[in-house]
Amino acid sequence: MTGAWRLAWRGLARNRRRNLTTGLAIAVGYAGLVVLGGYANRIEHLIRTSTVYLQHGGHLAIYREHGLGRASARPAAYALAPEEQRAIAAILAADPRVEFWGRYLQGSGLAGNGCTSRPFQALGVELAAERRILEHVQVKRWAPELGRPLAGLALPDVQGVEGAVALSAGLAAGLRKRPSAAAPAALAPPLDCGAPDADAQVAADSGLQLAGPTFDGSLSATDAQLVAIFRGATPEEDQSSLVAELATLQRLYDTDRVTSVAVYLRDAADAPAVARDLAGRLAAAGLRTSVYRYDDPAVNPYYVGTVGFVGALVGFIGLLVAVVATLSVLNAMTLAVIERTREVGTLRSIGFTRRQVLALFLREAAALAALGTLAGLALGLAAVVAVNRANVRFAAPGFADRIQLLLQPTATQCLAIAALILPLTLVATWIAVRRRLRTGVAELLTTSTA
Amino acid sequence: MSPLVIALFLAASAPAAAVPSAAPAGAPGAAALLRDADRARGGLEQGVTWTLEVESTEEGVTRRRTFLVRARGVDALAEGVAPARTKGEVFLFNDRSLWFLKPGQRRPISISARQRLQGEASNGDVASTNYARDYQGRVVGEELVGDEPAWRMELQALRPDVSYDQIRYWVSKRRHLGLKAEFLTVSGECFKTATFDYANQVVVAGQEVPLVSRMTIRDAMGAGNVTVLRYREPRAERHAPSLFNINNVVR
Repeated sequence: MTGAWRLAWRGLARNRRRNLTTGLAIAVGYAGLVVLGGYANRIEHLIRTSTVYLQHGGHLAIYREHGLGRASARPAAYALAPEEQRAIAAILAADPRVEFWGRYLQGSGLAGNGCTSRPFQALGVELAAERRILEHVQVKRWAPELGRPLAGLALPDVQGVEGAVALSAGLAAGLRKRPSAAAPAALAPPLDCGAPDADAQVAADSGLQLAGPTFDGSLSATDAQLVAIFRGATPEEDQSSLVAELATLQRLYDTDRVTSVAVYLRDAADAPAVARDLAGRLAAAGLRTSVYRYDDPAVNPYYVGTVGFVGALVGFIGLLVAVVATLSVLNAMTLAVIERTREVGTLRSIGFTRRQVLALFLREAAALAALGTLAGLALGLAAVVAVNRANVRFAAPGFADRIQLLLQPTATQCLAIAALILPLTLVATWIAVRRRLRTGVAELLTTSTA
Repeated sequence: MSPLVIALFLAASAPAAAVPSAAPAGAPGAAALLRDADRARGGLEQGVTWTLEVESTEEGVTRRRTFLVRARGVDALAEGVAPARTKGEVFLFNDRSLWFLKPGQRRPISISARQRLQGEASNGDVASTNYARDYQGRVVGEELVGDEPAWRMELQALRPDVSYDQIRYWVSKRRHLGLKAEFLTVSGECFKTATFDYANQVVVAGQEVPLVSRMTIRDAMGAGNVTVLRYREPRAERHAPSLFNINNVVR
């Protein structure tokens, strides 16, 4: 340790109570920012994982040109034809940044239980892609509780069930159906929908009927079997969501087209570059398509809006915390330099330049900030562990179910916060000290600081 | 779905309740007028059978379907005849319930009035309309429909679960037949129009009764979207009520 640093440490030790208070302010502020950062990080990853994987949006989504807005109304004109699907698959297979992809068919219709029916919004999925999603490391890390059904078996885990479907909890409750992987009897007994035990009759088997408009505009229907109940991504979706194997929905809608192809990347950070390259390759192949990134509000307004809101909120609170900590340092250093006016005069009289004296105080502030940051890191991480172990559950905006309050700060966040705290501390010290250093040596030596 | 269902609903119309109003001089009671008009659209108490050809043109694409329709009072059963892939498909309108069943399906699926708003071209909106039972009518004026003098009626929904809050309805003065209907949204805008022709006749209790031969439905908000329903080979037939029991249909 150099002499300057020794002097700085000695200066710090001179008024331990005040410096302890200041250090605590830095520590608490730093810990608060770590906790806040952990919350923001958790929410961003949770929503991103839900958006990209569990809601099957992918890091990139490929639609036929204008298909995003028009495919639901005019599916025959704006869904991807089989030859387009094959061309897209060939392009995706050639890109090593692409981990896998899935074809999806969206539609609407009615699900009936023999007595009553409920409207649904359906998503047809490829089971191979669905299996990869459910087993994906990102899903297991960030949204393990959202990836598995509330009841029954996930679609990829169901073997040999014709027309297997999963319903959101609200839709299943409306139809009074319970999931089962056992095939219902081929001939369904007649139902007396007006009987007192109608609900029991309906619940006696897991079979249900789906009806919907085919791509050519006719009404179609097919039998299905409820094998799983899941929680919808939002309260609204929880009332009407249905997920089925792609082939089941294609049979219902009498089509071989799909609405979109979702692309899952090895690294989400590649999304902009892959989107750019993919759009170029698709156009070069003569395909009139549109490629959307997961952070494009056109496809994922909820993700973009929520992450933006959480970011702004956390940023504002973080700014307040940083300002409070900085003012605390400013206050402490102002008092310190006033109390030590004669010491400053003495140092100046024995040959220390203003810059050297300023450096001395800055070293003290840096040491204080370092100690406070280290203490804050320990405090923040302890708070994170305590909160995560407490298994606090809360109703997060946009989620149909209560989720666990998890704080997951990253090392990068911790370093970034420290990198913010240190310069703020030094600036506050510089502001507090520089005016006093402009005073003449004689005045410094004769000023009363009692 | 919708053109067929429209036909079913029209066939299943029942007399409407009359509303006391300041009707034009000489105007008949609204209930009697609607009862007569409904009868000519197929609402025969003993039953009627016809072949229904539906031609829908939407955004330049035309589709055709044919059904064998058996109706009795407010009930109707329509079975798909053509094209071949729709053969055996059944629509059953039983009172206020509409059921759909494909061959081989374990159970039928019910389609409620509100749910008929979904799907094909929104003609299902019209399909959920049952003038006589679900609307209160009053005669509000006289107008020409083509060359034919008609009473202009306004129908107000009696039930909250119907698709259209109001309908404007023109009924021939001389023949007491519905000539034209406009289906209005809650805001009062015309959403669809329907016009009717009556070239068919059936003999009921020794009397010749005019019967609808063609209905044309146009989207007021979708230029060019039109559905034409042609009623072929109508004949009065007695149909047992059990024909319209959904459990019997499934068997």
